[in-house]
Amino acid sequence: MAFIGNFALLLAFALSVYCFGAGVLALLSPDEPNSQRLSETARRAGIVVFGAVFLAAVALVVSAFRDDFTIAYIFHHSNRDLPTPYKFATLWSGQEGSILFWCLLLSAYAFVLRLRYKTDPRLFAYASVVVAGVQIFFLALVNFAANPFGLLEGPLRPDGSGLNPLLQYPEMVIHPPMLYMGYVGFTVPFAFALGALIMKYPGEKWIHITRRWTMVTWGFLTCGIFLGSHWAYSVLGWGGYWGWDPVENASLMPWLVGTAFLHSVMMQEKRGMLKVWNMWLVFACFWLAILGTFLTRSGIISSVHAFAQSSIGSWFAWFLGITFAVFVFFFVLNHKHLRSDNKLEGMISRESSFLFNNLLFLLLTLDVLWGTWFPKISELVQGNKVTVGAPFYNRVAIPVALILLLLTALGPLLAWRKTSLESLKRNFTWPFTVALIIALFVMLTPTSWGSIFGLKPWHDVSYFYSLMTIFLSALVAFTVGSEFYRGGRVIAEKTGQGMFASMVQLTHRNTRRYGGYIVHFGVVLVMIGFSGSALNQDKEAELGYGDHMQIGSYDLVCRSYTQDDNANQETEWALMDVYQNGQLVRTMTPQRIFYKASQQASTKPDIDQGFKEDLYLVYEGQNDKGQPVIKAHLNPMVIWIWIGAWVMIIGTGLALVENAPVPVTVRVPRMMEHAAPVAGD
Amino acid sequence: MILGIVCAVLITAASLFYIFYLPGELYLGPEKTRASYLRERKDVVYENLRDLNFEYRAGKVPDTDYQSLKANLQDEAAGLLAEIAQLESGAIPAPRKARS
Amino acid sequence: MTISKTIPRRALQAVLLSLAIFIFSGASDPSTRFNEIGHQLMCICSCGQILLECNHVGCPSSDGMRNELMAAVSRGDSDSLVQQAFVQKYGPTVLAAPTTKGFDRAAWIFPFIAFAVGTVLVIFVVRAWKNRPSPVLVGGLPITNTDFDRFRRQADEETDL
Repeated sequence: MAFIGNFALLLAFALSVYCFGAGVLALLSPDEPNSQRLSETARRAGIVVFGAVFLAAVALVVSAFRDDFTIAYIFHHSNRDLPTPYKFATLWSGQEGSILFWCLLLSAYAFVLRLRYKTDPRLFAYASVVVAGVQIFFLALVNFAANPFGLLEGPLRPDGSGLNPLLQYPEMVIHPPMLYMGYVGFTVPFAFALGALIMKYPGEKWIHITRRWTMVTWGFLTCGIFLGSHWAYSVLGWGGYWGWDPVENASLMPWLVGTAFLHSVMMQEKRGMLKVWNMWLVFACFWLAILGTFLTRSGIISSVHAFAQSSIGSWFAWFLGITFAVFVFFFVLNHKHLRSDNKLEGMISRESSFLFNNLLFLLLTLDVLWGTWFPKISELVQGNKVTVGAPFYNRVAIPVALILLLLTALGPLLAWRKTSLESLKRNFTWPFTVALIIALFVMLTPTSWGSIFGLKPWHDVSYFYSLMTIFLSALVAFTVGSEFYRGGRVIAEKTGQGMFASMVQLTHRNTRRYGGYIVHFGVVLVMIGFSGSALNQDKEAELGYGDHMQIGSYDLVCRSYTQDDNANQETEWALMDVYQNGQLVRTMTPQRIFYKASQQASTKPDIDQGFKEDLYLVYEGQNDKGQPVIKAHLNPMVIWIWIGAWVMIIGTGLALVENAPVPVTVRVPRMMEHAAPVAGD
Repeated sequence: MILGIVCAVLITAASLFYIFYLPGELYLGPEKTRASYLRERKDVVYENLRDLNFEYRAGKVPDTDYQSLKANLQDEAAGLLAEIAQLESGAIPAPRKARS
Repeated sequence: MTISKTIPRRALQAVLLSLAIFIFSGASDPSTRFNEIGHQLMCICSCGQILLECNHVGCPSSDGMRNELMAAVSRGDSDSLVQQAFVQKYGPTVLAAPTTKGFDRAAWIFPFIAFAVGTVLVIFVVRAWKNRPSPVLVGGLPITNTDFDRFRRQADEETDL
């Protein structure tokens, strides 16, 4: 298997070099008689790369299933008694395998891209070459620096050292692939952008072609980030879902820039504006995604997630440098092509709100980037490391996020080109009033209602932020709702349909806009979930049989505690009866698991999810009398984060649906004229 | 090992055959012309006009702004339509009848 | 003054008032202070977690650190004194966020400068774009007014809702 794997990787590398070389040659001499055929062979080589990388990945997974511990990677990341689904996860649970996995996903994207070349053969030829360039780097890495098929030195061991216990959780089987799909996917928009820049693509059609790729990628990244935080919440057992860890930050940065791009791209499509800006945003997305991979792999910044320190850091540094240089070179060469001269008709308009939106997303990215690198900078400047943790990010990022939320509320009410203050006021008054009433309600209700009720902003700055979040979220929800209502009414007047049917038709006519609004609605739910964190409570107790502990309105009784043993793991747990108002509502079993192969322990919290709050129990260990130490967290509103994430994914899916045809269709001319193409406006 | 080598040789041969055996015509796609560029522009301007109409009816744009913005966009659309028509026939024909 | 004008103003006043109140009031009871300071410190066992959130099984440091913190808070040490004691014992990385002294200040200042510069820049760009001359329309073909009107009408018909 190691032989087949190595062969497949080498073949893939050789073919991607050919794909790149032949592709460049064909593009350099378009008038040569054979250049079209050369270009076609390059495309086909690119298609075969996917097959070869796929073969290598299959070889690695098969080795994991066959417990082939002659391969060092399998020895370090699997063991005989590892449950079946996790044997698949072996592919991405270590350094070398995860880079192979990167290659696999990149080749899969490239495969689809090269199959769909008929959309615009010339543009796709350029994009294919750029992707091939990136493929060469990752395949070189996996062939020559981090080979997953390297053989184990020394005598053959009977069993492997096992998969990292934290990864032995169902979500871990899908979180890395989702996140990687997001990271890797940004290569495609980047390839199109760079291709369009190099070939001086006339018009804005390329961005239309790229749009869907970007949305898919963004959707995967969103999915990956939320799965990651859900995993952290349900496995790591510290009661939270986001720790501002460098690796979490690394996934957040391309997401933020990608979100900015998804908004500003509309300016280019509709108005031909922000061409230079968008070019840089696409590049930044790609670059930050690679930087994220680099941060995780190189061990340059310490993190819980970091893979072992390794030498591949310098490879990444070179790659980052080269891509930057290449991009800047072509940008300087062709930037005149990106000039636009569109005029803004009014200061208050959708356009200006998008500019501010981009500013805020970029500021958030910059803050996160700054916080992530500050320890390094501090070490260089003042000689000592400092920690930049949650308190820093909360203080710096939350105000910006709140302004962004305000903008999300205002944006839909602004018309393209020009909006008068009068119409803005008219459309804003009632959502503002209702949102204010809701915020006041949350503030004035008695604290004894639990959850987020009775939030007094003067008690703590975090309470103030939470209340603002609730107010602004309500505002966004109502302006988005009013947008659906107003649009629906226009359609209803025109067609005589009912309101609901009209709103469905409205969404179908412009899926991107209304799908986008649904994403905004998802964001609102997520924000409401975040706002609950200000009211988190926790308590710790050592509990013997029948002992009680109290948290919020819950009374917890330790009914018993025991342990269990199987081939893969040893488990200790406590059986906790949960009473509310004297009624038994649930029995919970927080656990602590000791994994034999890796000799590591981890906790497995038990979570009782509710719409108002989560009761979250952690088995922390045993005291010297052998009694369990239980930590109980009461986390309000957390479930809304996961519901919101689902709504965001659904909205993204909706935005990907093809628009319904507009009622008036225009005849497509049959004949194609041959005149000189023109540059964009 | 020998089985592995045989497999490797077969896979390489099949790949090379797929890559370099190109019978028949290649798909080159339509050439990008002034007219196709103009049609792309026209679609964008139409989209903007539809949005403007929609936003006007939804009460986001006041009447005076609507009239002037619409006039600008219509001028642009008319210019594009005229040039497309001219390129298509060499002269300016009557506007096409739209199907609804 | 109309209602729609007063509501935002009142809301702004309310917001400012509540801001002022929480800025000038401080927490004082020991368990709140323990919780507050404990969230500004890191566990130093290299797990990278906030002290009070570090929960991994058999952590060699967090229990001791928590006890020290509890002792300091119940002694009635001031926040800065507690933090100084921890920094002396465990080094500057024990603080979860940079201080507001020396070069550490840069960490805090940069985001605000970026915000200010960015905002000014965007306002500047919006103004500049607003003051641009209207773009010249594509084409410039010699067509008669009646033809032009016909095309305008065609555009109008084809873009009706």
